[in-house]
Amino acid sequence: MGGELGSRVASLLEDEPWVGSLEGIDVDPPRRRLRRAVFHRIVPGQHDRIVAEVTRFDPHVLVHVAVWEPHARANPEAARRLTDDAAISVLGAAAECPSLESVVVRSGIEIYGRRRGAITRPDERAPVDPTSEYGRMVADVEATAAAIGRRVGVAVGAVRLASVLGPHVPSPLGRFLRLPAVPFSLLADPPFAVVHKYDAAEALVAAARVRLDQPVNVVAPGAITVRQAIRRGRRIPVPLVGPEWAVARRAAYLSGSPIPEHLTELLHRGRLADPALAAEVLGFTPRIGTGEAVDQVYSWPTVLRVPAKRQVA
Amino acid sequence: MAQLAEIVTLPARAAGSAARGTVNRTVHTLRTFAVNAVDDWGRDPELVGRVTALSRLRWDVTVGGAEHLPARAGALIVVNARRFALAPVFAALAIGDATGRPVRFVGRPDVAPVGPLLQRLGGLLPIAAELEGALRAGELVVLGADRRLTNATTGAVDHHLVGAAVAAKVKVLPAATISAPAQRAARVEIGRAVRPQRVRRGPLAELELADAVADRLDALLAEAGGAATGTPLDWLPLDRLPLDRSLADLLSVDAAPRRTGRSAETR
Repeated sequence: MGGELGSRVASLLEDEPWVGSLEGIDVDPPRRRLRRAVFHRIVPGQHDRIVAEVTRFDPHVLVHVAVWEPHARANPEAARRLTDDAAISVLGAAAECPSLESVVVRSGIEIYGRRRGAITRPDERAPVDPTSEYGRMVADVEATAAAIGRRVGVAVGAVRLASVLGPHVPSPLGRFLRLPAVPFSLLADPPFAVVHKYDAAEALVAAARVRLDQPVNVVAPGAITVRQAIRRGRRIPVPLVGPEWAVARRAAYLSGSPIPEHLTELLHRGRLADPALAAEVLGFTPRIGTGEAVDQVYSWPTVLRVPAKRQVA
Repeated sequence: MAQLAEIVTLPARAAGSAARGTVNRTVHTLRTFAVNAVDDWGRDPELVGRVTALSRLRWDVTVGGAEHLPARAGALIVVNARRFALAPVFAALAIGDATGRPVRFVGRPDVAPVGPLLQRLGGLLPIAAELEGALRAGELVVLGADRRLTNATTGAVDHHLVGAAVAAKVKVLPAATISAPAQRAARVEIGRAVRPQRVRRGPLAELELADAVADRLDALLAEAGGAATGTPLDWLPLDRLPLDRSLADLLSVDAAPRRTGRSAETR
């Protein structure tokens, strides 16, 4: 509930008529004002406190958004540890709740991997074959949730999101695209798709509403290549062929935009997914296209000036 | 004196202006080319339009039977393929140009730089799951049969890939592609959708459908006049010679195994 996505999900859930009381746990405080939700600031490693709060609340529906993308808010090692801790603590605690009916977990389309010969635009029936650290992390989260669902007998749904972009979302892809000079693969320049944070949050809420019991891909319409994104953002394109990527990665790291493994994979092999099932099962189609979401990456203001609701002077 | 100078510099100004205009147009074209987006499958409609225009230098393709294609739903179009003719590519470009719908083709490799380039043109990997996804999404997809030396007969049709159309419950249409190495004129003749003779519950459905499509393709090719080389050889009455098999069949060394293979697989 503390991250951008979690705060947005909590805000949307507050407006849902079927939601009675709402509580959330995170290591960071919420990024937006919540009216009804109760927030508990607990570090994912504090299993006892998490179990105590979750079992006391005894939820009907659990929305687990605590997945740390490597180099988004934490380095890969910390992201892996935090994600594992949160999954074990929260999902394990939920399994002890007698009222639990449904679990929805955040996942990613990185779960399909981009091995050579892999399907370009996998749907949910494609085999899970992650080829990056982030892909393995979300696969582990899904596996943990599925195992708990089988043991307890509750519906478990996984919302497999494309790379989440949006205003102020910490994203390695967003940071990379905003560099003044952006490297891209001259020989491949493959297409990829993203999802806007608003659409990602709405998809998670829709999944909770329908008690989703299967994985669904949530991907914005359209696709874009890095070269096209660079042109849209009026950045300086830096074409790379192969070995110089190692130098580019180090330079990007020093520039404050580290390139994690799954982003390297996206830059070289692309990342698309078939979102047809989401429209059918969730009744939801992302409204903001990939091109528009990338445009917003470049149009974020550095300082947001929010006018007063009522002018007093 | 000033007027004389104007007259003297006029050609230089005109040339400079033309050069500036050309450079501006080129820069604009390059910018547009780089900025435009690709679709959900990585196909770049702008690039496809340019390649289609460029391909007219090599091929002058006539498309017939486009009315057999569904207006909105997906369909698998199976074409015969002559070696080195890029039949699925030119058929996809031509059908797309004729129908105004994006048309994809099966057979891009997954290796840079050829794979990503063909993906921008609408290429799909030759994987049944990938093809099925495209067909379920309502796309028109061109699939090439095994390559032959000539256009006289068609090669075997991969029944695994045809199975994707069976799974996606879309029409399968044969399309004869007639082109010659030494000619610009080419033709894509789309036939009616092939329906399976029997309702099968198992994998025989796709096997029999693939065979039926190959037979329909052979019939379409025979109607179109058989082999064409674009040379005076085409005028020789080779089919009247007392040969069991036509010259085209003799040239096409792998024509016979398709039939035996097909009957063996069916058995």
